[in-house]
Amino acid sequence: MKVRRQQKIKRTAKRQGAAGTPVKPAPKPNFSTEMIPKDRYTSRDYMQREWEHMWTKVWLLGCREDDIPEPGDHIVTEIGPDSILLIRQKDRSVRAFYNVCQHRGNQLVHAVHEPQEAEESLRCHYHNWQYRLDGRFFDIPDLETFPQGAPPCGGLIGLPCDTWGSFVWFSLDPDVEPLLDYLGIIPEHLDPYHLDRMVLKEWKTVEWDCNWKASVDAFNESYHVQGIHPQLLYYLDDLDIQIDCYERHSRYLIAFGVLSPRVVSPSEIPPPIKVVMRDAGMDPASYEGSVYDAREAIQKFKRKNGPKQGRDYSALNDDQLTDDYHYMIFPNITMNVHADDLMLFRQRPHPEDPNKMFFDYWMFELPDNEFDDEEYKRPKWRQYKHGETSLGLVINQDAYNLPFVQKGMNSAGYSGLWLGDQELRIRHFHKTLEDYVSGDTAKPRTKAGS
Amino acid sequence: MDLGLRGKNVLITGATQGIGRRTANLFAEEGANVAICSRSPESVNKAVKEMKVIADGKITGAPCNIKNKEEYEAWIEAMAEELGGIDVFIPNVSAGGGADSEKNWWKSFEIDVLGTVRGVEAVIPHMEKRGGGAVTMISTTAAVETFMVPQAYNAMKAALITYAKQLSQAHGEQGVRVNSVSPGPIYFDGGAWDMIKISNEKFYERTEKTHALGRLGTPEEVASCIVFLSSAAASWVTGVNLVVDGGYTKRVQF
Repeated sequence: MKVRRQQKIKRTAKRQGAAGTPVKPAPKPNFSTEMIPKDRYTSRDYMQREWEHMWTKVWLLGCREDDIPEPGDHIVTEIGPDSILLIRQKDRSVRAFYNVCQHRGNQLVHAVHEPQEAEESLRCHYHNWQYRLDGRFFDIPDLETFPQGAPPCGGLIGLPCDTWGSFVWFSLDPDVEPLLDYLGIIPEHLDPYHLDRMVLKEWKTVEWDCNWKASVDAFNESYHVQGIHPQLLYYLDDLDIQIDCYERHSRYLIAFGVLSPRVVSPSEIPPPIKVVMRDAGMDPASYEGSVYDAREAIQKFKRKNGPKQGRDYSALNDDQLTDDYHYMIFPNITMNVHADDLMLFRQRPHPEDPNKMFFDYWMFELPDNEFDDEEYKRPKWRQYKHGETSLGLVINQDAYNLPFVQKGMNSAGYSGLWLGDQELRIRHFHKTLEDYVSGDTAKPRTKAGS
Repeated sequence: MDLGLRGKNVLITGATQGIGRRTANLFAEEGANVAICSRSPESVNKAVKEMKVIADGKITGAPCNIKNKEEYEAWIEAMAEELGGIDVFIPNVSAGGGADSEKNWWKSFEIDVLGTVRGVEAVIPHMEKRGGGAVTMISTTAAVETFMVPQAYNAMKAALITYAKQLSQAHGEQGVRVNSVSPGPIYFDGGAWDMIKISNEKFYERTEKTHALGRLGTPEEVASCIVFLSSAAASWVTGVNLVVDGGYTKRVQF
């Protein structure tokens, strides 16, 4: 039966104190409704322009700060065809370098996404050239046999690097604006979550057979819930959603612990909402209220019992205790931000093929009283092909579908994306992307919708 | 076949939705006077109003939380007075499934078991006064075969089958027949199987195939069995557990 109940989600009207996450809706942008050409997802030419005008001009998430906590700790991350080395400095700052020895072009560190330690220097294993933690040459064996001396660059080629939100960020553009300017509203919105308090629970990369944007799109709209994730109709309201588009980035606020207007209310509390209750420490069997009051009851319960459980929610509003504050940090970070956990996805383009991408999956959790620091083992990174690992039911459902989207986009019988209002963030994303790729300036200064 | 329900007085607990509601509708269509309850006054009023459209007899109802013994007994007395006696009683309210905590056991005991026991004890004197009556309890196939997970619902519903059998022996002399109906998976909008159909279509389809008749039952198909067992057409049936499941369970019932 097709159902569409009338339902209005009750939302917090005020932020939680001056430092709380802003809750007011952003001005509604007025984008054109024209078709988004499909070649942005399929063409190598577009992929190349995207690299030259966008990927090499933006700030990119490199690693988590606690991947490299001590001076000398370093990690390699990859973006498109390039490999970037992030090294913790003696002054606790982090520096980024192209991961390439200036001698014969060997990659300095071969292990990717694997935190490594170093004392004073990093050594290239080809001819033992050594670099200091700050990138300068430390030792070049047989330097006297180079009549021209050491390369004039003085060491590794550095890149802009900074930290925010417990993550290390870098840019391939030496002239990029400061990170905080680039992030715009993001720190003000997400600092109340204290992401630095969360611990890593899972960390993996899966190669998917789709363009990286097809993945970003899948997380930027809730319209597909009724298609791909029908079980979530007993978990969230996929229709009454607050969508906010900012300069480059965007968010939507989705109420969790509620029924979708697309289903009839069952006489019992649906199992997915029971899970939310249990996670909060409530006993679903003791809950006497109706399913319509469950979200508010969970919020009240968490507000009251959070501190006892060792969880500090003081900077978060009540909605944040249950709901998904979903942020997209342009170009490739989509994050489901919750009071107790963070699901962070980084979508990376394949070095050559627009039909492939790398899906980086990070799962973080806010520790409670029962968390044992000494027992905790940091998960190691692993890379998989599509289908080799489970990312949980919901992401598996998306992952199963995306290769078919990519194949379909390559069909002669398809021209482009025909988007509705529920997919506003995808439009916004494409506008920002086009500002980079086709715009006169590498750094868009236009406000969303203007 | 005349079910002989015209003018009979029927009490059903929790009959504002699902199988209970369809049962109440059917009694009403058969010309019985029907009294219903639910915790919420709005849903009782709505159901009463809707049932009146199809009814020949009197339709009434009042809010009642059957967990509260006094409130429950008062509802039975008030309904008996309003209808002028009790001929049929259907203790239908259930705490439903769940394996969350010990609390599920207390709730199932309080609502499914005590909600039946207290009701039966209050209605039997009324039935005796009229020279007989029928009680039809609602159990489940989850009581007679392993189903889903070990949980209070399955075990407490099983208790009702035994209780019904013993009652049938104890009150036969007063002309009171006591039976139970055990539905298998039943589909209706807003029901547990609606949620399963939407959330996990494959499991739903597997369950359909498990039925000898190849589909899930409807609440109307259960209601007609409840109404039959509660009617004069079943005057020689007492102490049975009628499994209404389209061949979902596989055991042989000797």
